[in-house]
Amino acid sequence: MCAPRRELAVHDPAESSDEALLVGIAGGDREALAALFARYAGKVKTYLKRLGALDATAEDLAQDTMVSVWRSAASFDPNKAKASTWIFVIARNAWIDRLRRERVELAYRNSVTPAEDSTAETPQDSALRALEADQVRAALGALSDDQKLVVQLSFFEDRPHSEIAAQLALPLGTIKSRLRLALTKLRTHWEKQS
Amino acid sequence: MSHPSMDILVAYAAGALEPGFGLVVGAHLETCETCRAQLRSLETASGEALSSLPAASVGADALERVLQRLDEVPQGQATAPTRPLLQQLPLKPRRWLAHNVWVSAVDTPHASDNRVYILSAGAGTEIVRHRHSGAEFCTVLAGAFRDENGRFAAGDFAAMYSTDEHCPVVDGDETCICLFATEGRLQPTDMLGRLIFAWAGV
Repeated sequence: MCAPRRELAVHDPAESSDEALLVGIAGGDREALAALFARYAGKVKTYLKRLGALDATAEDLAQDTMVSVWRSAASFDPNKAKASTWIFVIARNAWIDRLRRERVELAYRNSVTPAEDSTAETPQDSALRALEADQVRAALGALSDDQKLVVQLSFFEDRPHSEIAAQLALPLGTIKSRLRLALTKLRTHWEKQS
Repeated sequence: MSHPSMDILVAYAAGALEPGFGLVVGAHLETCETCRAQLRSLETASGEALSSLPAASVGADALERVLQRLDEVPQGQATAPTRPLLQQLPLKPRRWLAHNVWVSAVDTPHASDNRVYILSAGAGTEIVRHRHSGAEFCTVLAGAFRDENGRFAAGDFAAMYSTDEHCPVVDGDETCICLFATEGRLQPTDMLGRLIFAWAGV
């Protein structure tokens, strides 16, 4: 009856930084987890699909990732890592673990499947994305050109995910050719500008 | 020390390497602080990239399902395994190729056409000259070998490509143990080698 009113809470989870949410999650705050879920679950799913996961696998692993975030949050140290890095590593490891343990059907291996997320983005979405991508590109400034190219190709290319996955999930020869491809594209870009 | 190239590290950081190849890179990372530092900066960049991705739609009940699982007692291993990488590998029984040479395959259910295995060869052993039908990654776990490209000792990483041909020889008095991942099968350049490699399943 005299339970503390929610309005008295110091922070609204929706306005907290990712790092603050993780600290809250470490303290057992379920609302913080729900807020972090709203920010990251869909992005994690997109990332996994770009690596070649089928929709159902990506959904499954995105949920697993959020459960792992809950279980491991105590090991998150905001002085050592950004929340996005920490969540990324959990999602990536969940994917690798799954691949190691079982035969996972990859989207790119049945490329006849139409890309189901080809639904058009609203112009507002793309504007927002472009803005965010700019911020990321700024953050990537410390990397070498080669590093930037691969990261950008892995995450930002607006091609069907099956096509990207087909390139990404293959080892070396492909990565080499991907770099070559990237260099060719950039050259075209420069030629257009000059 | 020989390290993976930057494009290999970037692909590893992004989760884009086939896991068998990732294992071999991981074995190198366990011994190499330089590459671990590189990896951390690449993971930061990947985290930034993740934040900027558009969100795919998740199931209507996804959050509810996650919340229901929060009280479950975790099953199996923790998310951060503390055992060294190699002790986590599902190794198959050893196959002896000679009195001082054995291979032990790692189960790779995800990719039947890629092979991951440990090769142990006693001092002085010469491995049959061979070509690669695809990429090959190797991290030396113990001892050393030498080939046309130089000497590779414990912790060193080497990558070979489909056009490369080499004839590795164990260097020094110690048994040389390496973790390999290969795309496709190795192609020995003579008949005896073919028989041996076929038996070894490499």
